[in-house]
Amino acid sequence: MNKPLLTLSGVAKSFGTVDALTHVDLEINSGQVIGLVGGNGAGKTTLLRLMAGVMEPTRGQILFQDSPVSTMRKKLGVVPESTGLYSRLTAWENIRYHSRMYGIPDDESWKRVLQFAYRLDILDALSRHTKGFSRGMRQKTALLRALAHDPDILLLDEPTAGLDVTSARTVRSLVGQLRDDGGTIIYSTHHLAEAQQVCDRIIIVHNGTIRADGSPTELLEQTGASNLEEAYVSLTSDKARARVEDDEKEGKLSKWWRLFLTGKTPKMKEALEDE
Amino acid sequence: MSNSWRFVSTIAKKEIIEFVRDWRTLLALIVIPLLIFPALFIALPLLLQSEAAELDALELDVAWQGDINDELNQMFNNSSLIITFEEIPDDINNLSHIGSDIDRIRNQEVNAIFRLVQDGDEWKFSILYLSTSEASNEARARMINSLTIWENEVINGTLVEAGLDPESTLDPVTWDGDWEESDAATRGEQAGMVLSMFIPMVIAIWTASSAIQPSIDMTAGERERGTLEALLCLPCTRMQLLAGKWLAVATITSVGVALQIGGLLFAIKFLASASIIGVPTVSLASMLLLTMAVVIFAVMVVAFELALAMRSHSVKEAGSILGPAILFIIFPALFTQVINLDGIESWWFGIPLVNILLAMRELLLDRVIAEHVIVWLVSSLIYAGLAAWFAARQFKREDLVASIS
Repeated sequence: MNKPLLTLSGVAKSFGTVDALTHVDLEINSGQVIGLVGGNGAGKTTLLRLMAGVMEPTRGQILFQDSPVSTMRKKLGVVPESTGLYSRLTAWENIRYHSRMYGIPDDESWKRVLQFAYRLDILDALSRHTKGFSRGMRQKTALLRALAHDPDILLLDEPTAGLDVTSARTVRSLVGQLRDDGGTIIYSTHHLAEAQQVCDRIIIVHNGTIRADGSPTELLEQTGASNLEEAYVSLTSDKARARVEDDEKEGKLSKWWRLFLTGKTPKMKEALEDE
Repeated sequence: MSNSWRFVSTIAKKEIIEFVRDWRTLLALIVIPLLIFPALFIALPLLLQSEAAELDALELDVAWQGDINDELNQMFNNSSLIITFEEIPDDINNLSHIGSDIDRIRNQEVNAIFRLVQDGDEWKFSILYLSTSEASNEARARMINSLTIWENEVINGTLVEAGLDPESTLDPVTWDGDWEESDAATRGEQAGMVLSMFIPMVIAIWTASSAIQPSIDMTAGERERGTLEALLCLPCTRMQLLAGKWLAVATITSVGVALQIGGLLFAIKFLASASIIGVPTVSLASMLLLTMAVVIFAVMVVAFELALAMRSHSVKEAGSILGPAILFIIFPALFTQVINLDGIESWWFGIPLVNILLAMRELLLDRVIAEHVIVWLVSSLIYAGLAAWFAARQFKREDLVASIS
């Protein structure tokens, strides 16, 4: 059997006292679309960021083949949820900037971009500033940018969030084609129907742990549910926690100032003191 | 090309391209610095000159109350003052007491009132005017001028009548020759002295203030716009990212400062051609050290501002931190202007910010004192290194990624 592309062993990630992920073991093989499914605050984005090498795990290790993933970032293509496009640059300039950082000559990345731009129906927009781009156009540009250096693994964080039906369909179709061409895609999503449609393997993340890992059929068998939604609900029946990464404690000065300003409202003051 | 330099130069190039595509930025960082000194030294004096000429050409109305002196009246007429004669009002205690004339003055029915009373050989006078009116001030100034000339004529007449020489009586101690010839400093050195009083301050304040906007845009701005996460996924280290952004901010700031100095030199050349000021004479060694001082200062300030901006979660937060932080540059800059450079102790050249500003002042005076150079060079390098270390710490913070959502 081939060696896994990406191996996560005993990976945990904490932010202060909050455990965002607890003991994750995963192996990602090539030629698959792997769906990370979970609610808000489940730990999907943290897991993706760890896989992308932009964060270090608190415990455990993540290896790309035999090397730490943080040293192998050139093998990865990432599309973050925010897309991260510069509005004063054209779509092509955005893509070229990243390609140059990966050491890809401009003509080489241009050829590759043309190939996918045609499929994504974004060819005419490449020379336009991204400032006026719709969410769908931004997502497609970010996808092109992630593909321009021919990555071994493509990490997509909610790639269809906020897209219209046609754009979402185009993105899903491209992901399928990439898989058919031998690519490996890790695909984070809220939508079970989408995961079922696109992914060969689904990993359900809930409250920082992996609750299930298998093909859609295996998940149904494992839970005895008639559809994936029921399977998901039965696997994540405990209450979801708040999104830990956004959980920032209020500073003392800020709290004092807030109490000072709201002190004349008795009910509010009582509520704050109870807190 | 090494990988590190490829990352740094690619980041810097992209940041500069993106930054200069905003016309407001070009206006703030290119056009304004280029024009500020020519505007200050050439356009402003020209404007003041034309305003003064306009005021000179005005005919002003003056009411003359009390006794009349024909000689003085003639002088007033020669100064374009239109005189109308009146009686002194009864309701005043002394000549300066405005009394019932107050409304006429406040409403500028007349620009000023001149009161004159002869008391034997003496004359007593007052001028009633409105200090907030330029025309009234001008009328007063013309009358004072005429009165001074008239008074001198009266004094000289009295002295001659008494058989005395007015010149030797009134001015028995005089400077012999041209006082400008007695200064051992050349005109170039004098110009250096004048410029050393404000060039270091301008460079310091402009470097710090012009670095604020790009620093915020390239750090907190990236966080706010959600572009930082994609950037952190690239195969470069955080230090390379910092170096690229530092290079971009430093380049933008240097261009602004260079244009400002260019504008200043143009203004100096203009003033020199009008013999108002000489062209400063600065040796090559001083010029090189001056450039080095500015570069080290820029390294330190830009790194520090990038670090503070990177700590911030939003553009607004970064602005509210970096805006007041400019005071830490302005106060030392003002303070340094009043420090006496003659016999200054070397430890002054070890104080952060003050050291670079003092160094620039000394170098503009073309004074290269080895001990001072060593102290400011070593201490500045240490401070620049500390600022870079602080910036590196901020760029390595994990919450940089965690707080992006």
